[in-house]
Amino acid sequence: MIVDQLILPLLMVLVTLSVGAYIVAVLDRLMAGAFGAPRGGNVWLAPLTRGAWLLTQHANATEAPDWRAWRLAPALYLALAAIGLAVMPWSASLVATDLVTSVVLWGSVEALATVVIFLHGWSANALLTLIGGYRYVALGLSYILISMFVLIGVALPAESLQFTQVVASQEGLWNVLRQPLGLPLFLIVGLGMTFWGPLDLADSTDLAGGTASEVSGPPRLVWDIARAAMLVAFSGVATTAFLGGWLGPWLPGPLWVIVKMLAVLSVLLLLGRWLPRLAPERCVTLMWVVLLPLSFLALVWAGAVALWE
Amino acid sequence: MELVALLLILLIGLGAGLLIQWLPMRHQPMPTWPQRAPFLGGGTPDSHAWSRYHVRYYPMTLLLIAFEMEMMFMYPWAVVFVEKGMMAMMEMGMFLAILSVGIVYAWREGVFKWQ
Repeated sequence: MIVDQLILPLLMVLVTLSVGAYIVAVLDRLMAGAFGAPRGGNVWLAPLTRGAWLLTQHANATEAPDWRAWRLAPALYLALAAIGLAVMPWSASLVATDLVTSVVLWGSVEALATVVIFLHGWSANALLTLIGGYRYVALGLSYILISMFVLIGVALPAESLQFTQVVASQEGLWNVLRQPLGLPLFLIVGLGMTFWGPLDLADSTDLAGGTASEVSGPPRLVWDIARAAMLVAFSGVATTAFLGGWLGPWLPGPLWVIVKMLAVLSVLLLLGRWLPRLAPERCVTLMWVVLLPLSFLALVWAGAVALWE
Repeated sequence: MELVALLLILLIGLGAGLLIQWLPMRHQPMPTWPQRAPFLGGGTPDSHAWSRYHVRYYPMTLLLIAFEMEMMFMYPWAVVFVEKGMMAMMEMGMFLAILSVGIVYAWREGVFKWQ
């Protein structure tokens, strides 16, 4: 019983997390190559080389950082990604932890991500990292509502806050077609949550690396892994909520989940390479005035469709 | 049991994150003081990191609190939505409409402008 209910879920999450983070690094380098940016050596080996280099690098420190918070922030972000991967179902019965309230738990992961990223920026005790943290709070507080509305939208037809039920409710038609506004809005949330590509306001190059600008060596490695793992966790939740999770013909359920997760990841990484970074002062207006009303509309749409069915 | 498993995953994730940092760094000497000056993209550290920073999006965070409260009602609402039908739709519609007036007012007041 202990093996079934504790050890297996843990192993499942750890394997997904490490393999997923590696795949994100490889995919991103492939995209970079396709867009003509330097790949940094062999696509398959470069992530491992960089990881080993960071692991053995002598880490720098700032003058008076908040040591505990500085070391804790990357580890916490990694733990949040692990929680996200834990509630994501691979098939009707293969779920690391099949909570009844997994949608709520994912919502809290999104909210806590803001806290952790601000902590990372604040604890280094340097100007650029702090500005990155402040910027992220503006972004994080703006995207959280959009995310909540589209997630509530998928919970309506399922009549449940459980991700396995959400997938089961998509038996007839996947939510990506049933609620066409949901997935595009949720993808924007994903880019915000992992501060990737166009929404990379926290660790952006105009801040010389933002919250990570003072971080080197092993802490930097954990931070990079955590960001990639969060992207994987997000793609898992997007797959579950909108792309029908394990549903699909011919292939077994978990394989469908992997195919769909890879598709979501590719779209996110492609957007990250393709779109320019948004100006932070514009992103708040965009989120509240354009995207939030759109997410209201998505919710009303979802509600109307759920009642009609 | 699921909650125990979740707690275990949280603790192992956190522990792994801390261990990857602690193991390679436990024998590393501290960098010298000049090296520990803030990086600042190569600029000289004239201002302190704790100097005043005007958080211009502050009114937006207050607006968020109203919506966060609303989310707490929305979770249970989502579960009974189909059962209650049109009534639930109208109730939440009214609630959202009232909150939207807040957004429009904040927009007019330039809360989302940040400059």
